[in-house]
Amino acid sequence: MDSIGKKSTGFLVVGLILVAALAVFPWLGPPVYFISLLFTVFLYVVLASSWNLIGGFAGYLSFGHVAFFGIGAYATGMMMKGLGLSPFWTILSSVPAGIIAALVAVIIGYPCLRLRGPYFAVITFCFAFVVDLGVKNLDILGGPEGLWLKSMDLPIHMIRSIMFEVMLVIMILTILLGVWISKSRFGAGLMAIKEDEEVAQTMAINAPKLKIQAFALSAFFPGMAGGIYAYYLTYIHPDIVFDVMISILIVLMALFGGGGTWLGPIIGAVVLTLVNEGLSTFVKAELARIIYGGLFIGVIIFMPNGIMEFFKRGHREETG
Amino acid sequence: MNTVLVIQSLISGIMMGSVYALLGVGFSLTWGVMKVIHISHAAFGLLGAFLAYTLLKAWGLDPILSLGVSVPLLFILACVIYRFLIAPITKAKEVIVASMIVTFGIAIILENVMLLIWSPDPRLLTTSYTSKVLILGPLYFQYPRLAGFLMSAVGVLVIHLFLKKTYTGKAVRAAWQQREAAQLYGVNLKRISMITFGLAVASAGAGGVGMAFLYSFEPHAHNIWLIYLFLVVIVGGVGNVIGAALAGLIIGVITGLSLAFLPYQWVNLLTFGLLMVILVIRPQGLFKGEV
Repeated sequence: MDSIGKKSTGFLVVGLILVAALAVFPWLGPPVYFISLLFTVFLYVVLASSWNLIGGFAGYLSFGHVAFFGIGAYATGMMMKGLGLSPFWTILSSVPAGIIAALVAVIIGYPCLRLRGPYFAVITFCFAFVVDLGVKNLDILGGPEGLWLKSMDLPIHMIRSIMFEVMLVIMILTILLGVWISKSRFGAGLMAIKEDEEVAQTMAINAPKLKIQAFALSAFFPGMAGGIYAYYLTYIHPDIVFDVMISILIVLMALFGGGGTWLGPIIGAVVLTLVNEGLSTFVKAELARIIYGGLFIGVIIFMPNGIMEFFKRGHREETG
Repeated sequence: MNTVLVIQSLISGIMMGSVYALLGVGFSLTWGVMKVIHISHAAFGLLGAFLAYTLLKAWGLDPILSLGVSVPLLFILACVIYRFLIAPITKAKEVIVASMIVTFGIAIILENVMLLIWSPDPRLLTTSYTSKVLILGPLYFQYPRLAGFLMSAVGVLVIHLFLKKTYTGKAVRAAWQQREAAQLYGVNLKRISMITFGLAVASAGAGGVGMAFLYSFEPHAHNIWLIYLFLVVIVGGVGNVIGAALAGLIIGVITGLSLAFLPYQWVNLLTFGLLMVILVIRPQGLFKGEV
């Protein structure tokens, strides 16, 4: 008991120092590139950690999570355009954007979460396509031309720094939720569903309700992040915010780090985002994607249970 | 409503549907027999289309004759990929997820290799009979679509007969229905899986040529094709060849009819919406049956 207490205090201290260091980072005058890079890392931590709530804990593998990200982006974009929001309110509008994404998750989750295994993966995969096509066909959403948003009247360094802090906050909230769920009754219920849904039902776990709640939560933060991302880019296009690649990337990040723990998706998101950014900086776009595709394959073949498990196993083999 | 227009749309729907069927049969088989959801199936189809395009440009080889080159090539490529990339994951705890991610990786690689070789420009298979039309009374049949239809019908029939009549085909079906029992009777699962995967990818190449007869194509086109694959499998039932064929025709007819009455961009949306509805109501497919 004592050692567990010590361990979590240690985690808390390290976490607080890390957060403080990250929070002051953009104000120390680093090149804009590094602020943007970290922003992207935060974004993917949010996406992978949120996905983990339904995919990692409950074992319902959503292959269309980009839909919620894109819905959030468009919700914020439309609110800003339609209501003529000021920068401050635009950033706050990512909260209702997240709520809209969560509502959509409840609506589609109600029928879809009855499907299991590959069928859930397939229907969410297709759902993202349907939303993408729908948005492209709706002229009020800018259609295939996309949507331009007015940026803040501030120097680029300042704008990026503000966005950085906002995304940092969203990331911390997502992580805290993940930690809380992994230790809560709610999380235990989700893991029981992953283990065996029938048995979970007989143990008085209301599986349909838990699944919907987890799905809605796992859509809320990507929706918020999408809203912030839209304002960050100042331009949204279905091909960017509904890119299938993002859906798959999220799954891979969570699995790479090891789904079912709160720390896994964070590790996966940090490592894979840095690799991706590194590749696209130094290599030609097509070649970068080819290498990235190879990485997808390599990760699954060589560490099917995630990198944490991979190192644990390696360690065990060494000692045993 | 114009009767001729309806009949005409029905016919073109059946022609399109047969191509969807050929493209989808292999996808259904890999899913059913190997429990592998092969995301790059459509990308291999697209590769078949590009190979046909190049052979046509370089040597003037007819797209259907060029299958004689591309089908064996794709078969061998698929066997190599099976051996090194697919076989290792079939033992994983979560085969379905693992297979989706690994084959998504393959799809990204293929897409970008095609981008490097063929550029992102949209292509058309322009043959000597591209603009020729067969007119029967008030109805007309475009030759490329007829060619695609005949090729697809033959393709699906060959796969069906292979599974029903040959020893290897029967082993494939046995492996799908009774994995353990099949092994007891001396069916080499690894070999059977490799052949299934090779055949599926090779048939995708032919299906891709069929698609190229219908639509223009570019290296990203496989994403939309993939949704059609899911439609064929979900409507037809996983691993069900006859079901896939029927599903292809149904989807083709729906597409054909809606193309006549709806703006083009809404057609895909309608079809994919339909997919989601069917998935929710009857995930096991509309038809009962076996391989």
